[in-house]
Amino acid sequence: MQEQHLQDILRRLPAGVATLEGPELRYSFVNEAFARLLNAGELLGRTVAEVPGPWPADLLGVMQQVYRTGLGHVAKACPLCDDPTARDEGVYYDVTLEPICAADGTVSGLLLFVVDVTVQEQARQRTHELAIETRRLDARLRVLSETAPQITFTIDAAGRCEYVSPQWYFFTGQPRTSDLNAIWPLLIHPDDRLRVLYQSEAARNSGTGWSYEYRLRRHDGQYRWMLSRALPELHTAATPPLHWHGALTEIHDQRELAEALRRGEAELRFLADSIPELIWTASAEGFVEYYNQYTGDYSGLTTAELGPTGWINLLHPDEQAGAARQWVHSVATGEEYEGVFRMRRHDGRYRWHIIRARQLTDGQGPRWFGACTDVDDQHRLRQVLQTQYDELAQANRDLDTFVYTASHDLKQPVLNLRGLFDELRRTATFHDPEKTQMLVMVDEALTQLDLTLQELAATVRDQRGLSAPVEELDVRHVAEEVLLGLRVQVQQSGAEIELDTDEAPLLTYGRANLRSVLHNLISNALKFAHPDRTPHVQIRSFRTADGHPGLQVQDNGLGMVLPDEPAAVFQPFTRQHPHIGGSGVGLYLVQRIVSSRGGRLEVESTVGEGTTFTIYWEEGTAADHV
Amino acid sequence: MKHIVYLSRAVRPLSDQDLQELLAQCRRDNARNGITGILFYSHGNIAQLFEGEDVVAETLFDKIAQDGRHSHVQKLIDRPISHRSFADWHMAFHPIEPAGFEALQGFLLPQHVPAPPETLSIADATLVELVRLAVFGPAAAAPDTATPA
Ligand SMILES: Cc1cc2nc3c(=O)[nH]c(=O)nc-3n(C[C@H](O)[C@H](O)[C@H](O)COP(=O)(O)O)c2cc1C
Repeated sequence: MQEQHLQDILRRLPAGVATLEGPELRYSFVNEAFARLLNAGELLGRTVAEVPGPWPADLLGVMQQVYRTGLGHVAKACPLCDDPTARDEGVYYDVTLEPICAADGTVSGLLLFVVDVTVQEQARQRTHELAIETRRLDARLRVLSETAPQITFTIDAAGRCEYVSPQWYFFTGQPRTSDLNAIWPLLIHPDDRLRVLYQSEAARNSGTGWSYEYRLRRHDGQYRWMLSRALPELHTAATPPLHWHGALTEIHDQRELAEALRRGEAELRFLADSIPELIWTASAEGFVEYYNQYTGDYSGLTTAELGPTGWINLLHPDEQAGAARQWVHSVATGEEYEGVFRMRRHDGRYRWHIIRARQLTDGQGPRWFGACTDVDDQHRLRQVLQTQYDELAQANRDLDTFVYTASHDLKQPVLNLRGLFDELRRTATFHDPEKTQMLVMVDEALTQLDLTLQELAATVRDQRGLSAPVEELDVRHVAEEVLLGLRVQVQQSGAEIELDTDEAPLLTYGRANLRSVLHNLISNALKFAHPDRTPHVQIRSFRTADGHPGLQVQDNGLGMVLPDEPAAVFQPFTRQHPHIGGSGVGLYLVQRIVSSRGGRLEVESTVGEGTTFTIYWEEGTAADHV
Repeated sequence: MKHIVYLSRAVRPLSDQDLQELLAQCRRDNARNGITGILFYSHGNIAQLFEGEDVVAETLFDKIAQDGRHSHVQKLIDRPISHRSFADWHMAFHPIEPAGFEALQGFLLPQHVPAPPETLSIADATLVELVRLAVFGPAAAAPDTATPA
């Protein structure tokens, strides 16, 4: 029963068990696992040599040797390669060979014990491969960490340095034997030391990484800026990290460069802030990001109050829309921006500025750089000069008129003189031949005088273009030109000017003549304004009932007393209002021009109410004169 | 009341579907919260002007600024206003498939965006013009003068 039981157990053992008998090694017992292993049908009674089995070739020799010597043998991790399934899967067995001894101690057979050690063997092989891989990674890591320009390090939770790459010694010039943990803090710049120790400890305590900069003493004693970055080695979220790995990078030059840039920028800002001019920069999209100090001083507004487009608010309301449109256009096209605008100062006064902006590309990409230059003084100076110029031009014109008039008015007396003289020469006789000679001389002098007068008149006429040929004129156009020349007077008097040329927009006339007429009549109307009311000047180009063109200039000024003899108004140097400046030749000239071109000038006036001048361009007697 | 204008960049390009969802959500929430204004989107560029009661507008800006769909949120102005300039809330962008969009409430094609309202100061209107330019670029930025009725 016992024996039977034992056999049963042996048969079912998951390991292969077999016994071999005799020197020819014949199978005498085979359990199920063994039979499966060999997979060669009935084994009992057959020799090992007959059944090739999956053994490595040399195992047969080993069996015979065990039989001969009586010394057991274990073949470890044999690949039983003839097993078709085992071959594929790389199955391994430990094969134990034990001699079976007879009672007399001689060897009578062998016990084969075959255990599947595939799992163990695979684990062993994996361990081996892992060890190789680890060595490889380790070597790679070492090469990398020792050839990278950075210093790499590993620090434990207590802040002790477990590893530092050789670059550290190279950088600091410390001997390999030095006590890292003692010396490292001493090499940190005194100004940075406490901060660094604190930051490192804080990071280690909270289990996080760090990134900070500090100065470390180099082998030559120079302190260099370093960037220290490290991360904790985390295995699970639950356990606090035990190690930090990191790198120390020298960033001295970058820092210096950044510092220089910062300094440069700060210097530029300082410069911009110290210039008494409005300066600003805007992003490529056209949003102002910086206004200099002076912009704030001038406008009384902060950068925040001004905002990205706030400069537009500073402009005169009439100019905002145009300036804004122009700016959007510049931003869209990249074209330079330039314009002259009135900008409001903190006290509410507007001053003229030239605003210029250009898109330039610096290290940070394209940006707009703008400046607003105060040109108010120049602008005002120009206006004063313009006024003076206008006054001089007026005086000049008056003088010309005077000469013209004088020469004209002297013509008649000379003519009379000539008549009297001719009469005298005809009737009088002189006995003294020398006296006759005198007659000739007087004759010549008279001729000379006449000629001089004619030339004088002609010169003035030519200079002023009064004799220029006629052309078709746009009355409104000419009147606007004249008003432009008089704009200072118009502004100063606050006059309202009404210009209506619809009825007779065109006039065939000498350009200079029309201008002269308009200039004299309008400036007269402005000059003799009533102090108690806004001057109102109406200029109207009209047609008479029979279709002839005319011009009317009506004011609400002082008015004047018209003499019984109407012509007197138009005598030169007749001044109705002695307290008001002027040479008094203006109206005279108007009349001369109009009549010389075959027209007529009429005037109506009420003292204290106003004056109306009416010109009929073509009427009158001397139509052929034109 | 105040209005706020900001520029930002989408974290990744927004699809028609993304835009449509944003449009629907904003139309609904803005109507409820009394927020009016306009949003521009093109190729990842975003700009928005919105107006509303101070607290509402500020809360909305904080929420938008933290929205993960975009980053680089740059506030350009944040200023009190005395009256609204927009009657409604609109969104203008170029859908890849425009067909379904034309009919959507609150949607505008960029070329149909009207010129900034007259009630805005010229400086603020210029700001709106510039953000429109920044989002859509010079070619598409010119306001549509010949908008069909
Ligand atoms: C570019 C952009 C613009 C947005 N504009 C609005 C807006 O105008 N109104 C609004 O309610 N939400 C807007 N949102 C969405 C909000 O950020 C937020 O997702 C939404 O209000 C829902 O928030 P809640 O779930 O916390 O209520 C915008 C989001 C993005 C990315």
